[in-house]
Amino acid sequence: MSPVWTREWRIGWGFALPGLTLLLIVMGFPLVYSAIMAVSSLTLMHPSLSPLVGGDNFATILASPGFWHALWLTFGYSLVTVTGEFVIGLGVALMLDRVTALKPVYFAILTIPMAMSPVSVGLIWRMLLQPNLGIANHLLERAGLPRLDWLGSSDLAFWTMAGIDIWQQVSFVVLILAAGLAALPREPYEAAEVDGATAVQQFWFLTLPMLRPVAAIAIIIQLINEFRTYDLTYVLTKGGPGTSTEVLSFFAYRRAFLGLSLNEGAAASFMLLAVVLAMTLAFFATLERRAGPSARAAAGGAGG
Amino acid sequence: MGLRSILCAGVGLAAMVALGTPALADPVTLRALMEDVPETQIIEAMLPEFQKETGITVEFEKLAYGDMHDKLVTQLTSASSAYNLLEVDFLWAGEFPAAGWLAELTPFVEKSKFDLSPFIPSMMDLVGRNKTGLYMIPMYNYSMGMIYRTDLLKDAKLAAAWKAAGKGALEPPKSLADYVTLSKFMKANAGVAGAAMQGQRGDPNSMEFSNYLFSSGGAYLDKDGKVALDSPQGKTALDLYVDNVKNGAQQGALSATLDDTLRLMCDGKAFSMITYWWMLPQVDDAKKCPAVAGKVALGVMPGGHGESGGWGWGIPKNTDAATQQAAWTFIQWVQSKKVAVARAMQGHAPVRSDVYSDKDVLAKYPDYATAEQVVASGEAFPVFPYSAQYEDVLGTQLSLAAGGQTDSAAALKAAASGLSDLLKKAK
Repeated sequence: MSPVWTREWRIGWGFALPGLTLLLIVMGFPLVYSAIMAVSSLTLMHPSLSPLVGGDNFATILASPGFWHALWLTFGYSLVTVTGEFVIGLGVALMLDRVTALKPVYFAILTIPMAMSPVSVGLIWRMLLQPNLGIANHLLERAGLPRLDWLGSSDLAFWTMAGIDIWQQVSFVVLILAAGLAALPREPYEAAEVDGATAVQQFWFLTLPMLRPVAAIAIIIQLINEFRTYDLTYVLTKGGPGTSTEVLSFFAYRRAFLGLSLNEGAAASFMLLAVVLAMTLAFFATLERRAGPSARAAAGGAGG
Repeated sequence: MGLRSILCAGVGLAAMVALGTPALADPVTLRALMEDVPETQIIEAMLPEFQKETGITVEFEKLAYGDMHDKLVTQLTSASSAYNLLEVDFLWAGEFPAAGWLAELTPFVEKSKFDLSPFIPSMMDLVGRNKTGLYMIPMYNYSMGMIYRTDLLKDAKLAAAWKAAGKGALEPPKSLADYVTLSKFMKANAGVAGAAMQGQRGDPNSMEFSNYLFSSGGAYLDKDGKVALDSPQGKTALDLYVDNVKNGAQQGALSATLDDTLRLMCDGKAFSMITYWWMLPQVDDAKKCPAVAGKVALGVMPGGHGESGGWGWGIPKNTDAATQQAAWTFIQWVQSKKVAVARAMQGHAPVRSDVYSDKDVLAKYPDYATAEQVVASGEAFPVFPYSAQYEDVLGTQLSLAAGGQTDSAAALKAAASGLSDLLKKAK
């Protein structure tokens, strides 16, 4: 190790250490503590970590039919919301990419739902969708359509909640994709136009492949967000009617605070974490596999 | 400056600090997490009076019921609680003392010679004492009954239609089956929901269904404490409950809470609601509910027995002695006869028998005589350390049945089994 490198190494660590220490305290400690909770006998009625019970809490959660229902529901919910957000987000981003006037105004408007807390969003929509006194049904009635039981019907509540979630989260996807679109090189498009490619062909063979890394980031961030959805469920439906909107994080909350079993709640949370981690790793692995040959070729070309 | 001067200045400063300590000490401020209901607003308006008398400041943080339990539990399990005065629901009256979160109040009562005899005994059993001691002082009562529209019962066209259907005179129902029939009739003929129902899963639908259960002659537990929910009476109650949600209630009943039903009734869009009796003064208030004020009445739950409930005051263990004493001073004051009568004049639901018989109160609210019957005939949801969880278990099954995701027999069986499991867990 050369003296210069050693000096840089020391300076680098010197700057990084305070931040890393802080991260370790605020993120590492709760994570480790909740991991201990998950293998302990800690409940609110028995506030002690001992005796440790190993994997018993995980076994209890896995044996619960409610867990599997919540898990599949969460998968479905994440799939619906992320797909909705991506499709709408991409459409809006493409439109904004062509807009030249008042662009900052559109972006400012788009950030409003994103800046609102999910609890406020839930409360506002709950009022709008109130079946008897809310404006949504009033408008439907004025249009000669039947009133809908937005949150009280077990068939509709899931879709209503997903719709509200998409409404709030789509602007994040728009902003990321719009930034990605703005950064795309113009030369390939000019070449495609010379070759006579249509707009659809340009979108399909140029825009989408070049946008893939940015889109992947947007999708994975939203997938993680949606998998953790809690606030909207709590405010809008409390998991009902029946169990039609009981997502995994709400299931964990019920175990911890209504069931007073912090240990089982922690175990359920770790399962949620495991699923999210597995999805994230699988997603990035797929992405890397697909980008691999071209990236390696590019790297080889640069080196040659 | 010589050494002598420095020493003098030091002694002087120390004396000032010592003498100044009492004046500099922070005055006690009591903080309570309260349900955002009229009862809280009534007390809150009287707090300046208490502060004037005692110098103790009281601050209320108001929340919807559904958000209270978790917030309180988080505070009570920490080293010190941000809330040093507690409003405790009867559903937590098993959990909080069992977890060791509440201070025992007997020493406070004995020291202050606070008279507990005027408190209604059933209220003391519900939100006062348990087998191990006195942990709460009853605050207000929320037994449930039927609030209904008298103008719709007097409506000639509706009366004729009811008679034509072979039902006799249009009058308040006497049994649960009659009530559900009337509710469906009103929805079909009066242009309003027959019943404003609070069917959201959890506390709202569990409390509402309990009225159906008790008025059908069913029970959660038998006299020996064994689970008795899965019975023919229970099945009748659940079938009628589901029928009313589907055919008598407002649209959206399965996501509705107490607030939703109050708004609906207040707006004149419902014939009835099975609800807390203290709602009557609110609905009957011409300023708050001009559409229905003067056209509503209170009745005992059709069938004779409704859900009994109440709130109590408690003092958290994880606060210091001076704060606990201040909290006790407040509890004594707010539950004294003088203050309880003043609260009742604004619609308070009393827990002291001497307030129900107060002439001024009865003159202003003649329905308080009926309210006393509602309180007297009430039966209680099982109170044990996992009552709040049981509400969730029961509420889920009720919601599944009412939403058509399971049948009533299966829902009842699962709810009974859930109760057995939690009772075992509590032992």
